[in-house]
Order: sequence, then structure tokens, then C-alpha cells
Amino acid sequence: MSGKNMEEKVEQATNSKNISLPVSRVRLIMKSSPDVSCINQDALFLTTKATELFVQHLALSSYKNGSGKETNTLSYSDLANVAEETETFQFLTDILPKKILARDYLKSLEEMEKDDENL
Amino acid sequence: MDGDSSTTDTTQLGITGEYMTGGTYVLQTQDDDGDESFNDHEDGNGSKDYFREQDIYLPIANVARIMKNAIPQTGKVISGNFKNVSCNLGSKDAKECVQECVSEFISFMTSEPLKLYLQKFREAMKGEKGITPVTVSEGLGEELTDESFTGQLPAGLITADGQQQNVMVYTTSYQQIPGVQQIQFS
Repeated sequence: MSGKNMEEKVEQATNSKNISLPVSRVRLIMKSSPDVSCINQDALFLTTKATELFVQHLALSSYKNGSGKETNTLSYSDLANVAEETETFQFLTDILPKKILARDYLKSLEEMEKDDENL
Repeated sequence: MDGDSSTTDTTQLGITGEYMTGGTYVLQTQDDDGDESFNDHEDGNGSKDYFREQDIYLPIANVARIMKNAIPQTGKVISGNFKNVSCNLGSKDAKECVQECVSEFISFMTSEPLKLYLQKFREAMKGEKGITPVTVSEGLGEELTDESFTGQLPAGLITADGQQQNVMVYTTSYQQIPGVQQIQFS
């Protein structure tokens, strides 16, 4: 569909009172942080809403940033790339590592060992 | 063939089938803050040592739906399994990763403003500064450093019961500051 339609949809979701994520689950995750005992209802709602926006933002940024534009797909590598390149998503680099073939990794390990021997 | 060498096949992982029944497994919480957390179990939170996988992540269906609505209509989300390249959001990899990212984001959002708040609380208790309100957007802004993202949060917040408010309060177990019950966010 046209980009304008999509932006309207996103804007609608942004301003809507409706949330698509289970609030109780969000509270559970928040409570898993240390030192948190009580969570205000408004804070919980805000976090849920912000999480929704975050998912939209991440998906859209990865999609726009990635090679999927031609193929119209969003793949894991798009996510990994955006995590590394965008400052906002830097906190995700640990859980979105770039994937390499095992044999490539083993090869680079061997090369590193050879370099160490040569030193 | 896909280069993804990871596997969830239990026989290859060397785990017996019994551990993986029902799709649940025991997961230890990550106590990154070190030793203090370990000593706090007598406050009744000892039971939160173990979380099931479905408890620490948001439901994948909801996450997938939000993702699908964010990208253009004809967009698809694929997995690392190249057998189903054009799998129309039926695939797992990218969605599962976003699921993990979401949980990470929530933990991040919970801990960062809290840190900022505690820092200001300590400064206030020292008497060096007056008690100042802490804004969520401050906490977000410092860490995420993306104004356009923090700008998306509506300035007026519609609460769950439909009332429009623009305040938010974080409380923790040990801080009760008189006069600082309202925290504004811009």
C-alpha cells in the first residue's frame, strides 16, 4: 500500500487508547528488574504503549535499512544490521549478534592462532 | 543451504527429551547488579528465581502483529531457514528475536529511569539540590539518544480508564519522598 496509508495507520495506533500487548506480562517483566516493587498503573500503561511503538520503530527501521526493500522481506540480518548501525538500538547488540558460518569462524580462529605463533 | 548452524534439536544438543517437554524450561534470572540481589530473597521475592520462557517474553502473536502492521502491506518477515523464503510471517527467527528485544527494552526502560531517579534522590538527600522532578523522557533521551523516538510518546497520556493525565510515578520499596509524588514527563 502507499506509504501515506501506512503512516496514517501508525499514527492511529500511536494515538489510540488501545494496546495490543498483555499488561500483566509487561508488569511481570518490569518486576524482574531489581529494586522494583510497586509499579504505578500509569507507568505500566506508558511502558506497554512505548513497547508497542518500539516494536513498530524497530521493524520499520530494520525494513528500511535492510536489503529487503526489493524483496519486500524483513529478515534477521536486517535486525542485526540495524542494531549495530543505529545508535538508538545499540543496547540490542548483545542479543542481536550478526551470524557467521561456523566454518568461517573456525577459519578466522585458525588464522588468529597462526598469527600468534608467528609473533 | 542456510549457514545458520544453530539447532534446537534436542538430540543434537545432547539434552535428553525429558528436559524439553511441554516447551518449558527453567531459566535463571540474570542478576547483573551483583551480590545485592542475592541477599534480598527473604523479602518474599525468592520465588522469582525461575521464570518459564513464556513468562519473560510477550506473546509472539502480538509481537508479530505489531511488526506486520508497521511494515508495508506486502512486506513479509522471514526466518533463517531458507527452505521457506517467502514464508508469510509464519516463520520464527526474526519474530523471536524481536520478542527478546522487547523484553530487553522493557527491562531497560524500567532500570534506566530508576537509576536516574535514585541518583537524584541521593543528591536531594545530601541537601545539595532541591528535589527536582525526573522525567521519563530524560531517562530515555540520555540512553537512547534519539529525539524522534522519544518525541513519539504522546505528551498527554490517555490512561487505562480513559482519563487524560500527564503524570507518571515510579516507586520503589524504600524511597518515600514527601512532596515528590508527581513526576512530569515532557
